[in-house]
Amino acid sequence: MSLKNKKKRGNFPLFFLMPAILSAFVVLIFPIVYATGLSFFEWNLVSTQNRAFVFLKNYINLFKDKIFWSALLKQFGFIFIAIPIELVIGFFVAILMNRQFKGVNILRSLLLLPVFILPILSGLTWSFMLQPEYGTINYFLSLIGLKQKAFLAYPGSAYAAVVIQDIWRMWPFMFILLYAGLSTMPKELEEAAIIDGANFFEKLYYVIVPYLKPTIVMAILLRTIDALRIFSEVYVMTGGGPGNGTLLLSLYINKQAFEYFNIGYASAMAIILIISSLILTRFLIKNSFDLGESYE
Amino acid sequence: MNKKAKNVILIILAFLIVIIEMIPILVVISNSFKRDIDIFSSTPFSTNFTLKSYISVLKDRTFLRGIKNSLIVALISSAFSVIVGAMASYGITRYKFKGKKFVAYSFLTSRMIPQISLAVPMYMLFRSLNLLDNVFSLTLAHISFNIPYVIWLLLPFFAAIPKEFEEAAKVDGCGEKKIFWVIFIPLVSPGLVVSFVFSFIMSWNEFLYALILTNIRAKTAPLVVNAYLGQYAPMWGKLSAAGTLMLIPAFVITLTLQKYIIKGLMAGGVKG
Repeated sequence: MSLKNKKKRGNFPLFFLMPAILSAFVVLIFPIVYATGLSFFEWNLVSTQNRAFVFLKNYINLFKDKIFWSALLKQFGFIFIAIPIELVIGFFVAILMNRQFKGVNILRSLLLLPVFILPILSGLTWSFMLQPEYGTINYFLSLIGLKQKAFLAYPGSAYAAVVIQDIWRMWPFMFILLYAGLSTMPKELEEAAIIDGANFFEKLYYVIVPYLKPTIVMAILLRTIDALRIFSEVYVMTGGGPGNGTLLLSLYINKQAFEYFNIGYASAMAIILIISSLILTRFLIKNSFDLGESYE
Repeated sequence: MNKKAKNVILIILAFLIVIIEMIPILVVISNSFKRDIDIFSSTPFSTNFTLKSYISVLKDRTFLRGIKNSLIVALISSAFSVIVGAMASYGITRYKFKGKKFVAYSFLTSRMIPQISLAVPMYMLFRSLNLLDNVFSLTLAHISFNIPYVIWLLLPFFAAIPKEFEEAAKVDGCGEKKIFWVIFIPLVSPGLVVSFVFSFIMSWNEFLYALILTNIRAKTAPLVVNAYLGQYAPMWGKLSAAGTLMLIPAFVITLTLQKYIIKGLMAGGVKG
């Protein structure tokens, strides 16, 4: 393309980008700026008092808020328990399914279903299965002579249930990304390892894992960002309870904003959550999303 | 152990994993064909096939309105996002300009912003504009996650088209806008379909914005499904029937779009 031509095209990127940028201003940028503003105010919607500018007081109070720290801890616990398990299951099933046999395509499609299921339906179904009197899981436990348990009635087991629900729903996500990665792996790599007399675990360690590393990193980061904003499935399953047993960050923000109507305080938390996910997204971009030559 | 026997064991294992994974979905579907009294009996295998739950759900005005609202919000926000997103994606891949990387990455980043963080200011904004419980404002809220998603998903589709196509078109005297509509849009149509379907599913599954921004009139179907849980006596039959009906789009896309699903998932998952 000649230089002149390039110049002539100068106004057009704006033409194509403008609608998206304008929409982003309305639904993303303005709300974020507004939330930042709100976070500097003490503003309770149900109290008769007017909003008061308190600058960083909400943030300072956050540091002193035990429930906030416990929500943060539970959030990270969630990330550190659920995601590694999802990765390991997804990884081994990807290796298992990476062979041709009759019906393998149907099996793979079926595994995708949980990922696309409504999160609330997943949460509701698990809470059904965990019901003490008629739940499916308790039925099977009673078959092997175990006592029926009200899993969702205790903070510890409710938290475990929330994690298991997520593992059930999202390991296939890991599976499908890793499976896609595996299917692009050159056969020669594996064959060379076999000729060298590598056993299964050596093959994993020296060939498969290094080859899949970029995919693994990306899958972990995507899931982490996802896990940081988990809401609906937990909301319908436990509502954050019992006590505050499953009160993850999003649920605590929701509680502060829409049950206690502490808009300023909730906004401060919302901003912290945004910043955390932006930091994670930066890692994601650095490691996984390369815009590449064609976009330069 | 010989190789064949090992293979058979691995295949059986694969089937087992999938069957176990399917149990919760099967539980929902089987509950939807049961009477409530059988659901509450302690054995999951009681059989008394009935369509009662489906009939009562399909007669339920609240659920039907929920489905209607869900469809409106999902269709409009997806269609708008695909048009606007395709234009932006085209602008990013086919032009050189200052700050391009920044623009592109900003859109990716914004897809990752937690919804609850946007829900708080949106609630306040729509409240002051008297737009709470309104299908239009809920659609706007959905656009916030659909546009960035579409842009990112479409980038590789636009980038894959060789430069010669547009150069040839230019020689033929095509203008800039015409090149986009006449040359590119048909060429990236598989991408447009995938991004539309994924956006649709995200809106269809979305719960948080609907919970916070709507109340009665603009309530979407997932909220109605959740409401069947009730305060004291959960209506598992109705809940399961409604939930099973809402699963249909997921069934359809997993069976038809398998080829494109990975691309879609890599652009940032499908969670609403």
